[in-house]
Amino acid sequence: MRYRFLFEQMVRRELRQKYKGSALGVVWYLINPIVLMGAYALVFSVLLKVATVPDYPLFLIAGMIVWVFFSQALLSAAPSLVTNAPLVRKVRFPREAIPASAAAVQLATFLVMIVLLLPVELIVRGSADPALLLLPLIVALLFCFVLGLSLALSVLHAHYRDVEPVLAAALLPWFFVTPIFLRVDDIPGVSSRPWLGDLLQWANPITPFVDATRELLYAGAAPSVGEMLYLVGVGGAALALGLLAFRRLGRDLAVVL
Amino acid sequence: MRTGEIVLEHATRTFKVRPDRSRTLKELFVNRGHGSEPTVVRALDDVTLTVEPGEAVGMVGRNGAGKTSTLRCLAGIVPLDSGRAECGGRIVSLIELGAGFGPDFSGRENIYLNGALHGFEKHEIEERVERIIEFSELGDFIDVPIRTYSAGMELRLGFSIAAHLDADVMLIDEILAVGDESFQRKCLARISERMEAGATLVLVSHDPSAIERVCERLIVLDHGQVQFDGGVAEGLLFYHRLLGTEEGGSRSLRPGERATLEILELELQDADGRRRSAFRPGEPMRVRLAAGSVQPAERAVLALEVRDERGGLCFRTDTTLGEVSGQVDVLFEVPRLNLLGGDYDVVAGAYDQDAPEGGRLSRVTRLSVARTLEGEGIADLRGSWVVAGQRSPEEALR
Repeated sequence: MRYRFLFEQMVRRELRQKYKGSALGVVWYLINPIVLMGAYALVFSVLLKVATVPDYPLFLIAGMIVWVFFSQALLSAAPSLVTNAPLVRKVRFPREAIPASAAAVQLATFLVMIVLLLPVELIVRGSADPALLLLPLIVALLFCFVLGLSLALSVLHAHYRDVEPVLAAALLPWFFVTPIFLRVDDIPGVSSRPWLGDLLQWANPITPFVDATRELLYAGAAPSVGEMLYLVGVGGAALALGLLAFRRLGRDLAVVL
Repeated sequence: MRTGEIVLEHATRTFKVRPDRSRTLKELFVNRGHGSEPTVVRALDDVTLTVEPGEAVGMVGRNGAGKTSTLRCLAGIVPLDSGRAECGGRIVSLIELGAGFGPDFSGRENIYLNGALHGFEKHEIEERVERIIEFSELGDFIDVPIRTYSAGMELRLGFSIAAHLDADVMLIDEILAVGDESFQRKCLARISERMEAGATLVLVSHDPSAIERVCERLIVLDHGQVQFDGGVAEGLLFYHRLLGTEEGGSRSLRPGERATLEILELELQDADGRRRSAFRPGEPMRVRLAAGSVQPAERAVLALEVRDERGGLCFRTDTTLGEVSGQVDVLFEVPRLNLLGGDYDVVAGAYDQDAPEGGRLSRVTRLSVARTLEGEGIADLRGSWVVAGQRSPEEALR
């Protein structure tokens, strides 16, 4: 790995660039999602009381961290090539390192979230299930999925500058069709229309990731074999497509930037 | 492929230049095929050349002639449309001035990032970081964010990094455009040092003296093609000639104005009467003038001046022609052009001594003189050094 040090440098740069000069620095990467999740937990468990799930904030946060990682990684990776244009124009190096480091920084935040959340879940539930051993695998597949999309979006954004605003606009409705507040089966109207449940569960590729991670962290339950295969398929396909798109469209990066 | 070798084989690369550079989705879907047609620029047009390991090659050409594109293709930053461009071994490129990779990062952090981008490992950079800082003469500024640097400081840092990464191939673009004389000299010395260690260099520059000092071979690019490939002195002369033909003759200093007597034509020629604008010091030169008058002038006077790039007067002469009506052609013969390398303006004027408006210079043309290693300055006083005698220290004291 000739470029391992480059990747390390890029991650460090990405980490420090955004909040350089602020008093709390890197800590901001954690504060934002924590505040966001705190607000949702407050609104949905105390004020609206939509859910009948016990320990609702833990349920909510376990699913929410996946969404936060997914959306933040895409939002920071999409414009990354454009913001790093001087690098691309001046030197030859594997340009994949740029969106990959943006996604990796968000992965680090995600892992910190898991480390903070896991002991709380374990204490509240009072048992450590062997299914938790699947967690690293699910996180790895999720990262493949996010990395693939990050590569594709960043190189598309370099060519068509509308990609990032379109993505930002799409993420909001996408968030609401992703079953984060309730399990798919608990959504009103799904029990009478099973096709709607299937649609919500399988047509949206991020849903199984949210579902699998949440059930593992919150309930200690392993995903079904079908869901696991789905995660492998989607993660692998996204990564392959992302690399392919990057290779195809990334040729002329130094010219279009 | 040998280490340090550079090969271009039928390298072709075109760019589409659009009035509005970045495309949007709307453009893609809405006016498919109707948008403003992009202009196609041939940056490299079937270029084939080989640079041997350890060679130092200068590259000159007008703006847009393909110099920077060639470097980018060699560095692998921009892919070719067809053909082959390869460099053997490790490449370090210094393209676009300075090291400015992260304005919020300190000079030291930029050294690490720059090294990493060029594919160096942490320990390799750590070994060099102190030498780089020392060479850059930035002192304590090395730990200050780059955004506070002046252009000169950024250049110093950029060059120091590029020159100490120990590459087999160095691709350097306009390195000496900024920076003081002493630092430039230090850079050139460092480049020579790297060359002695066996590195290959391609140096793009507008500054002929920098190229003369380090390169032994010169490539002149124009319209994406190699127009000249050979020795530096001949190459620079060729380049000056290329610039001369493009700028094309003389231009009026007061377009639109009509005076009673004026210079209609102004042209520089060689001894055989062929039009030229680039000369070597010491060559013979002729200035051909054509003056014309609307009404007969009683006492016509012609004036001729040579001025340097800053407008300083190098030479002035005038002559009284007497009565002129219609057009008159005049030659001014310079048996030996006693000017040293640089660009000069030859300015001519004509006036009627009896007319009230007085004399004004009205036409100018560019004169380029090739540089020589034997002297610097404006006046060509080249001579020979002779040791006239020697005395021992004891004799000298007495």
